[in-house]
Amino acid sequence: MPAMAASTVPTIFHKTPSASIYVSISPCITKLTTPRTKFRPKSTKTRVLTQPSLTPLATLSDPFVLQIAETLEDSLSSNSSPPLPPLEKLRDTSSQSLLSTPWPSRKDEPFRFIDTSFIKNSQILPISSPPQSLNFLDVPTDTQFPSLAIADGYIVNYSPQLSELPNGVFVGSLLSLNSEAIMKRVFEYVSSFQGDLFWSLNGVGAPDLVVVYVPEGCRVESPLHLKFFSVEGSYDGSKSLPVSNPRVLVLVEKGGEIGIIEEYVGGEGDKCYWANSVMEVIIGEGAKVSHSYIQSQSLSAAHFKWTSVSQETASTYELIEVSTGGKLSRHNVCVQQVGPETFTELSTFHLSGSDQTHDLHSKLVMDHPRGFSRQLHKCIVAHSTGQVVFDGNIQVNRKAQQTDAGQLTRSLLLQPRATVNVKPNLQIIADDVKCSHGAAISDLEDDQLFYLQARGIDIETARKALVFSFAAEVIERLPYTSVRKQVENHIRQLLNPALPS
Amino acid sequence: MALLHSCCCYSTPPSLPSLLSFRNSKFNHQLFTVSAIRPQSRRFPRKSLFQRLEATLTVEPSANSCTERGVESPKLLLEVKELSAVISESKETILNGVNLAVYEGEVHAVMGKNGSGKSTFAKVLVGHPDYEVTGGSAMYKGENLLGMEPEERSVAGLFLSFQSPIEIPGVSNIDFLNMAYNARRRKLGLPELEPLEFYGFIAPKLKLVNMEIDFLNRNVNENFSGGERKRNEILQLAILGADLAILDEIDSGLDVDALRDVANAVNGLLTPKNSVLMITHYKRLLEFIKPTYIHIMEDGRIVKTGDISLAQVLEKEGYRGISDT
Repeated sequence: MPAMAASTVPTIFHKTPSASIYVSISPCITKLTTPRTKFRPKSTKTRVLTQPSLTPLATLSDPFVLQIAETLEDSLSSNSSPPLPPLEKLRDTSSQSLLSTPWPSRKDEPFRFIDTSFIKNSQILPISSPPQSLNFLDVPTDTQFPSLAIADGYIVNYSPQLSELPNGVFVGSLLSLNSEAIMKRVFEYVSSFQGDLFWSLNGVGAPDLVVVYVPEGCRVESPLHLKFFSVEGSYDGSKSLPVSNPRVLVLVEKGGEIGIIEEYVGGEGDKCYWANSVMEVIIGEGAKVSHSYIQSQSLSAAHFKWTSVSQETASTYELIEVSTGGKLSRHNVCVQQVGPETFTELSTFHLSGSDQTHDLHSKLVMDHPRGFSRQLHKCIVAHSTGQVVFDGNIQVNRKAQQTDAGQLTRSLLLQPRATVNVKPNLQIIADDVKCSHGAAISDLEDDQLFYLQARGIDIETARKALVFSFAAEVIERLPYTSVRKQVENHIRQLLNPALPS
Repeated sequence: MALLHSCCCYSTPPSLPSLLSFRNSKFNHQLFTVSAIRPQSRRFPRKSLFQRLEATLTVEPSANSCTERGVESPKLLLEVKELSAVISESKETILNGVNLAVYEGEVHAVMGKNGSGKSTFAKVLVGHPDYEVTGGSAMYKGENLLGMEPEERSVAGLFLSFQSPIEIPGVSNIDFLNMAYNARRRKLGLPELEPLEFYGFIAPKLKLVNMEIDFLNRNVNENFSGGERKRNEILQLAILGADLAILDEIDSGLDVDALRDVANAVNGLLTPKNSVLMITHYKRLLEFIKPTYIHIMEDGRIVKTGDISLAQVLEKEGYRGISDT
């Protein structure tokens, strides 16, 4: 990341060499000169080029990024009590990296195909407090699973079933974490991973940390449902963009097992907002995490999400994603192998309609032998202005011998000018491995259509059935029936008006 | 009369050899006259009656004498005249003027060398987009078959059991069957069946093809063995019903038991009102499903028509033995 920043230097600091550049931008904040303000170097002036010795990192900063960072920081500083150690650590490391991370441009490979200008051109307003009314919670939900309702990044509701979780399991806000032992573990792991700009922005702006802790050997029978709501939003014409930074840390100790359903709902109306979410999953030796991720955000919203997973020896991680919402949706997945014999299965499905962009950037890093991984990415672009981007990176490093990794991406383009950009990439250094990858982009298969027609099914019904069945391959993998049915119905509804005549 | 009943077997249950049931209608009038003349000395006349029956059976009646009392002559189901077709993409000619007539209640077998056009003929009849008809006609139940869309042909009662049924991952067997069944019911103006009712309807059909209930939840042909795929085709035939069922190499890839199951199922579905057109290479299938006629296809046309004895000649001498005569 820092290396890229150099390219932005000439454009930002394009003044006469002797001029000094003042980095801080919002003048009204100067009264809050707490030691925590990391973005204003106290002695104020930084020099460019001619005097590189003074705070060199600051000279590479992107002022836009710094501005956002400051506004995020300020929204949090209204909280009077000092942050808990893990949050402090998180904010420190994140802000440090923000100093040298520019806003991504189309020239940066990871952001080559998506257009983040609508975020950049808006006035970004961090949401500094939980919503006043909890009306959105009245929506009937399947209350069978223990669940947490998180609105705009703040926990607002704990379902009663949470008390039925086994002893030793903790689900809740970091602020209500009493166990010192767990706090210590959380501190160890929080932000042990280096993400991109959006990861760091979340680190600076997250008001709270939702902690899910599963102690050693504990098997949590019923899945945990984390339901994320976005309440604040702006409407058409407004230039402001409320941003929320929900953050979750899942820590499963050795031999533990849990299923997590992470669901993002946009609610009614086409509100405009930016959800910048991060989930870190630490899976201990022999432990198992099944992660169902469902995203149906508002069609005018920006949804950025990080899922960072670290897998110990013989652990299992299964991700099943179904993303249908958001005007701009970006999911970064990074699974890092920390021990051998891990099992990783990633199944993702994206449905892009009118003016929607879905982007999945996944990275699997295998550094230990005998890991097994399978990745299936399926997407349907149902509209000529829809787009899907897939960058599936698998790194099989030198010590990852006898790795068995497979990746398959299949895209269905239903209308002319619908776009998909796929880049499966395997970087293999070890020499005793079994790796495969495949990519196919197509319309529906003629043979299958004919088979259905030959049985008396008319072409329209046949097309509908086949398009839905394309999606079904991933949706079938959702482990919980109620969730699966809900998703199936939603997809069916979305697909029916979108089919070409 | 007793004689009439024992010989005539007009309304036979399906378990009896199909030959007798389909042929008797033509010879009814003869039976009547025989019994009227010699009512007492039954044994000898009966034997000669049978012989006469057998003798007449080997001759293909080209014309249909419609003078039987109170008996309908079988209707002409499919009439193909000089049908020629090419592959849409390459314009390569595959069918060169095929002529065929299939009446109700008949079992036809089409055999021929690889590449002679048998499967193409079947696919053209059901309207596969890979082929284009360049000449000739095909009338089905008096209507122009070639003018109908594939789904219309299917609803009209034409069924093709594919040689290599394709997989449709994501669509379960029961959903698929329900969709197809309801499509047919809708076209016929009959009420459609809900999933539960449908399930009750098809459970006995599964027994007919000797398949387990759990297969319904699997996706169409996904990870099915060859035998399972073929049995799935026959199951669809049993559920959807057909007036003319075209079985394209239903025996390929099947073991002895599976073949017997499939053949029994097909025989079980035969009635005087429907017909079967089988495409096969081997005599084996014909031993289970007895054909009325056997056609040999060569270079895109039917060059010879005969009965089961033709299959025996074929077995012994190969196609060259047939084409020389």
